[in-house]
Amino acid sequence: MDDDVKLRALMADYQAGRFEAFDEIYALVAPPVRRFLLGKVREATKADDLLQDTFLQIHRARHTFDPAHPVMPWAMAIARHVWLMDLRAASRRPRPTDDVTAIDLPVAAAASSFAERADVRRALVQVPSSRRRAAIEHHVWGLSFREIAERAGIAETAAKLRSSRGIAQLRSLLKAADVSRTKRGSHR
Amino acid sequence: MTQTTKMTPMTQGADMRVPATLRAQLAAGYGPVRPLASPLTRTLWVVPFAVLTLVAASMTFEFRMDATRLGWAGTWGISGVQVVIGLALVAVALREAIPGRGWGRVQTAAWLTVPVLMVLGVTLSSWELSPVRLRAQWWWVGALCFAGSAVSALPGVALASILAVRAYPTRPALTGALLGFGSGLMGDAGWRLFCHFSEPGHVLAAHLGGVLASALMGAALTTRLSGAGTRRN
Repeated sequence: MDDDVKLRALMADYQAGRFEAFDEIYALVAPPVRRFLLGKVREATKADDLLQDTFLQIHRARHTFDPAHPVMPWAMAIARHVWLMDLRAASRRPRPTDDVTAIDLPVAAAASSFAERADVRRALVQVPSSRRRAAIEHHVWGLSFREIAERAGIAETAAKLRSSRGIAQLRSLLKAADVSRTKRGSHR
Repeated sequence: MTQTTKMTPMTQGADMRVPATLRAQLAAGYGPVRPLASPLTRTLWVVPFAVLTLVAASMTFEFRMDATRLGWAGTWGISGVQVVIGLALVAVALREAIPGRGWGRVQTAAWLTVPVLMVLGVTLSSWELSPVRLRAQWWWVGALCFAGSAVSALPGVALASILAVRAYPTRPALTGALLGFGSGLMGDAGWRLFCHFSEPGHVLAAHLGGVLASALMGAALTTRLSGAGTRRN
């Protein structure tokens, strides 16, 4: 019960504008929420994405918390809502982007060989679908983050986050592919 | 929806620091917030509307002609109780709109069933006390009462929906249906002081139909408003 009393006090601080309280709230609330989300989606990266969405929504809904009631049911209800919204958005989302071979990648001008384009495709497959989708919709299809957010049923900030993480992961995968190709070339 | 969560293993073995990107996003839109008032307190906003709809129809048109047979209790008394039940349903909906404070299935079913049974009881007892049959143009009078009940409820539905969305409804359709049902009962409480046709077929189809229509309007409006709120953030 100590955790709950502490959390209630922290939430009251958070509502009052003490941003530092958020760090402690995150440390206490994130692990059980992540476990809950992981149990639902069974994919660590996806659970992490939903965890971030959950905390964005917790931030948005912080005024609805009543210190007379426990924190965890409140936070879990928001996490469950985020998961259900993602599920609903996934069922409405167009599927073609999952087939990365079907995407017309704008790498032709920059790429010097077909091998590089194939590298991009291979790397894209390794990027989690939610991030890949956001990155492709923004960088290939040219959709705004607002449009991406509306299509996916998530917050605009979450769409930005997914896209930037997807691109960062893609970069590191391509870098690794480039290094391994250079090594192979030098061995010949 | 009652949720219980074990508290003990919260921090075990996890390095849970706020990611930099999340911190930056929150810091950009950060500021102190005023905690939401309790559902009961927020329901008070709807009270003036409830009083207004209670008297509007009978003052605009006329008081039901069989009022002397029904007496004070059968007119103002029953309508007053109906308004109180309507307000209670709005409070129930406003509580439902708060994350983690939602109602379970049995409770929700009870909140939706009990008022219907009450309307049924009132209808049958009014018919016993003052049987006024609707003979001619039943469809026209029925449509008028259906529309009257539903339209009387509209301002209440709109106001209560805004109050609900101000929280964070995780089941907006249910929240809206509850508050729409409550507002519908309030609207019809005033309308029944004008309409003297106590025939059960008319009351249940037109008056209760209008109440159920306002429940549907509430579900649609709250879902719409809550979707707009999510996209905005």
